[in-house]
Amino acid sequence: MTTAIGQDSGLTLRHVSKRFNDDAAPPVLDRIDLSIASGEFVSIVGASGCGKSTLLRLIAGLDGDHEGEIEFDGKRVVTTDLSRGIVFQDHRLFPWLDVAQNVAVALRNAPLSKAEKARAVAEHVELVGLKGYERHYPHQLSGGMAQRVAIARGLVNRPRLLLLDEPFGALDALTRSRLQLELQRIWERERITMVLVTHDVEEAVLLSDRIVVMQARPGRIGEVIDVGLARPRKVGDREVAGLRDDIVDTFFTEAA
Amino acid sequence: MANALTRVFLPAYRARRTLPGDTLRSIGWTALPWIVPIALALLWMTGSRYGWISAQVLPPPALVFETLGALLKNGELWIHVWASMTRAAVGFGGGVALGILLGGLLGLSRTFEAYVLPSFNAIVQVPVLGWLPFLMIVVGIGEPLKYLLIGHAALVPVTLSTLQGFRGTPRALQEVAAVYRYSRWQVIARVTLPSAIPVIGTGVRLAFTKAWLTLVVVELVASSEGLGYLIVYGRQLFQLDLVLAAVLIVGAIGYAADRLLNVFERRLQRGRSV
Amino acid sequence: MSTLDWEAGTVKGSWRGLVLPVAALAVWWIVSRGAQAGHGVMVSPAQVWDTAVEQVRSGALVRALSASLARELTGFAIGTGLGLALGALLGISKLANRAIAPSFNTFKQVSLFAWIPLISVWFGLGDVAKVVFLSLAALVPVVMHTSDGIRAVPVNWLDVARAYRYGRLQTLAYVVLPAALPSIFTGVYLALIYSWLATLGAEYLLVAGSGIGNTLVDGSEQFRMDLVVFGVIVVGLTGWALNALARGVQRRWFDTSRAA
Repeated sequence: MTTAIGQDSGLTLRHVSKRFNDDAAPPVLDRIDLSIASGEFVSIVGASGCGKSTLLRLIAGLDGDHEGEIEFDGKRVVTTDLSRGIVFQDHRLFPWLDVAQNVAVALRNAPLSKAEKARAVAEHVELVGLKGYERHYPHQLSGGMAQRVAIARGLVNRPRLLLLDEPFGALDALTRSRLQLELQRIWERERITMVLVTHDVEEAVLLSDRIVVMQARPGRIGEVIDVGLARPRKVGDREVAGLRDDIVDTFFTEAA
Repeated sequence: MANALTRVFLPAYRARRTLPGDTLRSIGWTALPWIVPIALALLWMTGSRYGWISAQVLPPPALVFETLGALLKNGELWIHVWASMTRAAVGFGGGVALGILLGGLLGLSRTFEAYVLPSFNAIVQVPVLGWLPFLMIVVGIGEPLKYLLIGHAALVPVTLSTLQGFRGTPRALQEVAAVYRYSRWQVIARVTLPSAIPVIGTGVRLAFTKAWLTLVVVELVASSEGLGYLIVYGRQLFQLDLVLAAVLIVGAIGYAADRLLNVFERRLQRGRSV
Repeated sequence: MSTLDWEAGTVKGSWRGLVLPVAALAVWWIVSRGAQAGHGVMVSPAQVWDTAVEQVRSGALVRALSASLARELTGFAIGTGLGLALGALLGISKLANRAIAPSFNTFKQVSLFAWIPLISVWFGLGDVAKVVFLSLAALVPVVMHTSDGIRAVPVNWLDVARAYRYGRLQTLAYVVLPAALPSIFTGVYLALIYSWLATLGAEYLLVAGSGIGNTLVDGSEQFRMDLVVFGVIVVGLTGWALNALARGVQRRWFDTSRAA
């Protein structure tokens, strides 16, 4: 089940568990073991309550309270780091800053010169397709555009790992499809390791190399599936739909 | 902190057992709010005992409570409390009632609002206290002065919040009423009014704070009985124990009433999403 | 809620708003002509006008108003400064909040004016006592709104700061402060209004010195209705001006990038 790759710049989870205060309830996460290679795109799918978002926060280092070990790039994950970026479900842009400034928020502690920072911001605003909107404020943007800014902010540091927590969950279907293709394009270009948490199986099939199916109560890994379909993939593709149907039938059809 | 260390050395340790450190911390946490008042009280007592603070400037706490007790016993306190509270009740009650009426009219009728609101806004620019000298000439310094001022203090926030409540009926609900062909009166009674009530409740609570504040000032300036009068009287005779005792009671009543209204307001807001 | 957010409700077609005041003015004029002439309770608009002119010309108005405003702004500045510091402390440190906030909340329950007699014992009846009182009046709303604003910063944004390794100081300066600023400003706005209200009361009760409140009280004691009416108008206009000033600042700084 766990493909141990053993490369240094990968992400390894060993026996990661987390429980909340109530000892009696099943743990939120129960001995998660997972290895992700550098440059891979892995999705984590599961119904609500299976702990996938919690897991992502642990990997990001936003939460240090867990059992087991998380290692990235050969080093233990204790707290946040600029090499591990994260995109949240709600864009979390600061309303008092414009688009360019919001992207620059990520660079405040980066060891770059002012000119380099400015260039990085410009590049990434263009990367997500928002060139010309640098001076706009969040309240002037649509949901999809705001989320794109959030993605640019997540990438501008050139992290080696990008975590995405249901980044398109709050968007309408059309915008979602468009952004999924954007993400695929960005990943193909930058080849950053990406871990995407989603409840949308089709999205997972569309974007990932491997899919980790999680189950709830306790939160644990059910199975890891190799996707193995050629890229670029499109939403209408027969294989994409076929694999999606398989996964849904196998894991999600019985009422949990 | 301790949890993290135990987890490193005893990986099988269940993270949620309470350690002695936890208990100590929670005791400290509970006690924390009392540190400031207790420290101040101690300072006050020792200061009085050792004469750092003269009794003219700040009487010892024991004396204040003694005075309080004496007032309670000989019934004098009740006379003043009663006087203050009846004034507050009449002024506040009248102000609230008129405020709801006025605010309702302003909210329901655009015509009425067009004629009256600008004048109302202008009058509101003058703070309640600004009217005091004016009313003193017009009605003298008897009870009507107090009722009018306290009433005015209550009227303003209640009117504004009633107006806002009536105007702020969510569009969504109005449309439902339109779909079911509600008559104008039905809309007012069944949609506008119920949706306005929580906002009005908040306004009433605010109005009480202002009314009580105004009561105190008016009694300080111009009255012959009541809590404010007690304060002035004590001040003039340099009986600061009396002053402090009265201040304590003013605070206590204000606090109790505010809490009551808070509960009342909370019940009105039950089930609302905002 | 105060008149703060209500001015926005004024209706277009403003000629109708003038009907009532004009009618009232007319009624006043007619009634005052019928009553006895001279000073007394019923004073005519003309008399008020004359008094107004005289007050302005003799410089009495400027003296009284500037004295009142000077005291108010001093108290406002002191109270706001202290309030920002205390409010920030209570907002940032859970420990400090737990230790101090309950006592502060209890203190603020007591109607502010009840403290004046005590203040007069400790500080006399003059300017010092007034400024102390005004500082208190300004302090309370600033502390409340500053600490509330800081504590209300959404955890989501704090997460973002953590994700990008913002230190404590950076988080405070670049996330907490901008996020709390609207609330802090509301507190300062209220402080301005409250200290103006407190100014009047202070002048009634701490009678040494001069100010617009003193003008009103003097007029009242001498049964000079014209002076009192004049004073009321001045007080109203000043209050309106302060309100408009604060609202203007709010609109310029806060409405552009605020809507989130």
